[in-house]
Amino acid sequence: MAKALKGSQIFVRGLWDDNPVLRQVLGICSTLAVTNLLVNTLVMNAGLIFTVTMSCLTVSLLRKYTPMRIRMMAQTLIIASYVIIVDICIAAYLPDISEALGPYVGLIITNCIVMGRCEAFARNNPPWPSFLDGLAMSLGYSAVLLTIALIREPLGFGTVLGFRIMPAGFTPWTIMIMAPGAFFTLGLLAWFLKAYFPQVTEANKER
Amino acid sequence: MVQVDAGTLFFAAIFTNNILLTNFLGLCPFLAISREVRSGLGLGAAVVFVMTCTAVLNYLVYYYILVPLNLVHFRFILFIVIIAAFVQLVEMTIERYFPALYYVLGIFLPLITVNCAILGASLFLIIREYTLLQSLAYGAGSGIGWMIAIIAVGAIREKVQKSAKLPRGLEGPALTLIITGVMALAFIAFSGMIQIQ
Amino acid sequence: MKKRLFSIFYMFLLTLFFTSLVSAVKLYNEDRIAMNQEVKLLRIVLHVLGIAVQESASPQTVSQVFSERVKQIEVKQRPLYIGYAENGETITGYAFPVGGQGFWGPISGLAAVDPSATRLLGVAFFKHSETPGLGARITEAWFTKQFEGLSLDPIAGEQKIFYLKAAGTGQAANELDAVTGATGTSRAVEAFLNRELDHFLKGIWPEVKKKR
Repeated sequence: MAKALKGSQIFVRGLWDDNPVLRQVLGICSTLAVTNLLVNTLVMNAGLIFTVTMSCLTVSLLRKYTPMRIRMMAQTLIIASYVIIVDICIAAYLPDISEALGPYVGLIITNCIVMGRCEAFARNNPPWPSFLDGLAMSLGYSAVLLTIALIREPLGFGTVLGFRIMPAGFTPWTIMIMAPGAFFTLGLLAWFLKAYFPQVTEANKER
Repeated sequence: MVQVDAGTLFFAAIFTNNILLTNFLGLCPFLAISREVRSGLGLGAAVVFVMTCTAVLNYLVYYYILVPLNLVHFRFILFIVIIAAFVQLVEMTIERYFPALYYVLGIFLPLITVNCAILGASLFLIIREYTLLQSLAYGAGSGIGWMIAIIAVGAIREKVQKSAKLPRGLEGPALTLIITGVMALAFIAFSGMIQIQ
Repeated sequence: MKKRLFSIFYMFLLTLFFTSLVSAVKLYNEDRIAMNQEVKLLRIVLHVLGIAVQESASPQTVSQVFSERVKQIEVKQRPLYIGYAENGETITGYAFPVGGQGFWGPISGLAAVDPSATRLLGVAFFKHSETPGLGARITEAWFTKQFEGLSLDPIAGEQKIFYLKAAGTGQAANELDAVTGATGTSRAVEAFLNRELDHFLKGIWPEVKKKR
């Protein structure tokens, strides 16, 4: 059982020391696909942050009542419900983006990070720390994906959020829009960070 | 309705629209497992089986239960529950009849449940309005495509780790991602092969 | 046994609570989502017919403009939207749904022709399952603008009304730019849109001319 951490410590840990994406490159499935456009990434991240924080909060609130054997089922139900709510809200208020995102919003359910935090932290800790943990982890995750989007969109489309930022003569690197571009960008990012900030990627090995 | 025939869809799902290399789904276990070809093969086979069956199951549940009752927004919950139940079933069967395999696969069996590719395949086939036969072909093809990807990357990783001296920091996820990127690039070459008209 | 019972009871309660929550959210937003869909279609019909409506216009405004400037009839069991000028009398164009198999799934759109069906007024796509950033770019303005003013008389000897070629390589007036990196989608669009336009000219248009 981890010793009780202060709120701010939890927050920093989620953002940097224990950043889920950089440490293990986990949970990227659902969002990597939409990182070729910044606005889609932003919306997906908002959905993920909502889902993770609310799920962690709920799991934590219910932790004393949930029987051990069915906790995975319960967690899945909770997570899936929040994801559906996110999906409905995006469809209602951002219909164009909803179409662009397609099934990827639903895939937040299988995002390892959501389940991971619920399992690793929220079910053993009080609500407020769990909420902070969820928030920090999802923010850390979002930061990495936004970085990727900030590389892919300008290079692939020449725009950021739809505004042209590359000079007119720039030939877009179409490969950045397609799958290999995402893999290379994330791979290079992971390599860079692992080489120059090893404590980020190697810390807390017992986890 | 989609006119493409099931056979073409099957090949397209493996090569030109590989669920991992084109749609980015199923990366988590991919990055963790692909160290060895053998475990990749075992996991891959299990994924093929689960994906094919759940694609069909979810299709039936969606069109014969959810749609008539106007409950389509619950498809996320129902699909993942079906997948989880099915994987549980597979796990129990493997444990009983193939204990050696069960030992090798270990924790990765329950992890199949959260493999985005499996849920993703079901969601995609609904969006694209495939028929039952097309769903079967798509599910099977996606599973096989995923397996091929994981085995291929695993084989490359094995070779690279053995013979090459890697720069600082490249080992692990970074290398796997770059290899995957090159593979994705290679698979794009297949896109001229399939004419879906 | 008691533990088992409690587990089942707990799951049941939890499921009940969350499905109610989800249903509540859905019901609250249902109308809005349905209206979004409807308004979207109206907007696209207006756009394709060249009837201007502001981006920020409210759904009511869009509905109003639509009812003033467009008449919807049915020809051979397919909808046809007739666009009128502001005086309400002169016909400015005809719009009709087009659809077909895309690379990944069905694509739905609208095409509009001028009153004599000799030129295209424009096309728009509103439903598809193509890859975001690639095939999905068929909905972008640069792509659909190419179709505006396209002649509908096929050039003698060739079979198609238009062709999609690699960006920048088209020479004749009917050789338009495909989407870079989305060969599959581009080919699919070329195939079904040509087919639909052909179907309109040969099957629907004679009926419309008769009715006038």
